[in-house]
Amino acid sequence: MSECHLMRESMPLLLTESLDRDRRELTHQHIESCAACGDEWAAYRDSWAIMGDLAEVEVPARVKQRFLEAAGIAAGAPLEQRRSNVVPFYRRTSAKWLAQAAGVVIIAGGAYFAGNQTGALRVDPTPATIANVQQMPYSIAETRVLPASQISPQIEGRPDIQNVQFLDHEGDKIGLSFDVTSRVTVTGSPSDRSMVRLLSYVLENNKGLSASPSRAIEWVKETYSDPQFADPEIASALAKVMRSDQHEGVRIRAAESLKTMPAPVAGDTREALIDALKNDPNPAVRIKAVEALANLARSGEALDPATIDTLRAKSVQSDENLYVRAKAAEALSNIKLQ
Amino acid sequence: MKHLSDQELMAVVQGGDYSPASEIYDRYSARIYNFAFRFLKNAEAAEDAVQEVFVKMLRHANQFHGDAKLSTWLFSITANWCRDYLRKADNKAKESDDVLVTLPAPNELSPERNLEMRENEVRVRKALEALTPEQREAILLSRYQGLSYAEIAQIAGCSEGAVKTRVFRAMETLKKALTGRDSGGDRCLNAIS
Repeated sequence: MSECHLMRESMPLLLTESLDRDRRELTHQHIESCAACGDEWAAYRDSWAIMGDLAEVEVPARVKQRFLEAAGIAAGAPLEQRRSNVVPFYRRTSAKWLAQAAGVVIIAGGAYFAGNQTGALRVDPTPATIANVQQMPYSIAETRVLPASQISPQIEGRPDIQNVQFLDHEGDKIGLSFDVTSRVTVTGSPSDRSMVRLLSYVLENNKGLSASPSRAIEWVKETYSDPQFADPEIASALAKVMRSDQHEGVRIRAAESLKTMPAPVAGDTREALIDALKNDPNPAVRIKAVEALANLARSGEALDPATIDTLRAKSVQSDENLYVRAKAAEALSNIKLQ
Repeated sequence: MKHLSDQELMAVVQGGDYSPASEIYDRYSARIYNFAFRFLKNAEAAEDAVQEVFVKMLRHANQFHGDAKLSTWLFSITANWCRDYLRKADNKAKESDDVLVTLPAPNELSPERNLEMRENEVRVRKALEALTPEQREAILLSRYQGLSYAEIAQIAGCSEGAVKTRVFRAMETLKKALTGRDSGGDRCLNAIS
């Protein structure tokens, strides 16, 4: 290995000022006496400086909220109230405890009912089920203090108990603090109204997903792009995600999923597609939206005058992405006159 | 809380009191988010990473030793999470997600400099994407987080020599991408006295 190669290996260390004094001197002497390594060093410094133009990205405020919720710490609460792992002994009002217990019973009962249905699930025509879930006065992130006297001494099943802490005597009381979780699984046909409504709700309120929203959308797309399961409510949920999600990647995935939906279903989301085509700042979302509209036109779906006007405007918009313009023109050429 | 050192805050957490969580989050979330975002090239995943890292920090607080730097420990958790994320086959495809970042334009800069910065931003992002995950991890921790090779080695679970090689190779790739100048080979035969 030549001297030059050794010197060049030291250049990143020289940039971070991590070389010891002797080695630093030696490297600088070499750089000054060797034109090739001098050029190399200049290139290193230029690259290092350009890398400095990579701007810091701000952490979205919701991330802190999500973390504090996941950790069981209420944001904004006084510090004294955030000592979530050391639970003080005090009795809560029985009404609140009963409300929490009722929440548990509703969830457990619902899961049991769903799991033991032998026939098709009855379709609930109102969004009450979802609304109830949202408004239930039970929070899994909440720290609860339960007096032992109010808990049944009979432990049923094998609850998943974790992070157990033994709390020292306080007066004549001792304490046992732990996390306990229950998991609810709802199964059914993709065409079950309850399943469709649940999935729509999850898509539109994606905070609790264990997978990323993009992967969740991909999973939904794989199921509901099949014409036999195509559902306007799922398409509508995807349209809402495409309109409102803050992440470009998620909006792209939602638009892409709409593109694969059968025409009669995707047609109901035409307004959202037009909205995305006109207003989404990300060209990739606009591309997916115009592709979906082109598919609709190709399938013979009737497009209203507003849609046609938008496509026409896009096809000649000089500062628009070329592919978007071409696809808009293609959609126009495929429109079947009524 | 603000006057307490990292070690003092973690000692409180280790005692079962999570009240310093918010303060620790405020100190390190930006660095962790930026590292994860640049490593994974995915804003959603970076958000998940930040949440998971701080939750793990609380749950496994007892694994933190007071003689270590909290930043090193947090970056270890972050890097592990990111590596796991990339290891999952499904996520590899997501690496190519074209996530555009809109930068706030600093008012004090000239329009020309603003434009140049934006162009450089795109070039750097693309250049970083060309690196292997190991090289990207090393260069991100070295260039943008200012960690020493010893700390990076601890985080990456490799030797300092391996870190040195990764940073060197990363810089070779970045130099070529950003300045168009390839390594000129061993043209110089000067001996060092």
